[in-house]
Amino acid sequence: MKNQLRLLRTERGWSQAALAERLGVSRQSVNAIETGKYDPSLPLAFAIARLFELKIEEIFEDESGEEALAAE
Amino acid sequence: MSQRYGFKEARKRYNRIAGPLMAVYAVLCLGGSALWAFLDVDVKFTSAILALAICAPVIAVLIAKLRYFEETDEYTRLRQLRAFALAGAVTVSAVFIVGFLQLFDVVGQVPVFLFGPLFFLVYGLATCTGRWFGKTV
Amino acid sequence: MAKGNFFRANKRYHRVFWPLMAAYVALCFGGSYVINQGWVSGTVATAAIAIAVAAPIIGVFLVMLRLVEETDEYTRLRQLKSMVQGALFTISVAVVIGFLQLFEVVGQFWTFWFGPIFFVAWGLAQLRHHFWGKTV
Repeated sequence: MKNQLRLLRTERGWSQAALAERLGVSRQSVNAIETGKYDPSLPLAFAIARLFELKIEEIFEDESGEEALAAE
Repeated sequence: MSQRYGFKEARKRYNRIAGPLMAVYAVLCLGGSALWAFLDVDVKFTSAILALAICAPVIAVLIAKLRYFEETDEYTRLRQLRAFALAGAVTVSAVFIVGFLQLFDVVGQVPVFLFGPLFFLVYGLATCTGRWFGKTV
Repeated sequence: MAKGNFFRANKRYHRVFWPLMAAYVALCFGGSYVINQGWVSGTVATAAIAIAVAAPIIGVFLVMLRLVEETDEYTRLRQLKSMVQGALFTISVAVVIGFLQLFEVVGQFWTFWFGPIFFVAWGLAQLRHHFWGKTV
């Protein structure tokens, strides 16, 4: 899943570890989400959205929805 | 599943239990083996008590791991569970190979104990090289 | 294949699982028969048969791990957890029996038994969810 997490994080000058600390997750988790290797659960996605004061859709882009539409 | 503790807090809670348990295991293992060898324990009951005492911290560490998996963040949880499951699969695969070699009289007695270190070795390797198999996470 | 589709993942699993199980049963009986009849002798040949019998089980593990990757996220977590609980129980039993052996309380133990122990523990761990509601 594509997302703006890396952009938002660097805009604020935070390291992955600093963001991880704020979210209560491991640095590897932040890295995995940023690189699209891991899709966060709803609670974690909401926590990320709250932290950046944005909506989830403004951070995460639902590619699979587009794929499904394209497949039809 | 809601996350009760953050990654750091969960790790702290795990280390706080696993560290002492490992120390207890080391002491019991060395002490128990020495005691068993030098005192020449021939009473099965005493030997059994010694053996079970040494096992207890190992099993407790495994249970502490299970708690850690529940308490840590979701990504770490998935990675750890996957590594643990993979280690289990590899160990049980080894069990089947050795098992059939025994049933068909190719090998004799195999110390069952060895499956413990095998499991922990695979588990350790799998946590290091998290993305051996599968793509996500 | 799209990830996270429970039905498609299951279909792909069953398509491999059942042939593997059939192969296991056939190899199990066939291998034992061949050896008991004395058609095969020699360590290498017998060892090859033993490994061949074990191979479908290893295949089941591989296909199970693939299922875990391909299925939906909730099922993935549930399956991993029950595998972990099954493995935890099996390793605990192995450690206990291992030390009892080292201290000469028990003698030879058929290693094979840890296989059924794992599968029963794994199955019970899966069923547990049906008895005690809320999972994962």
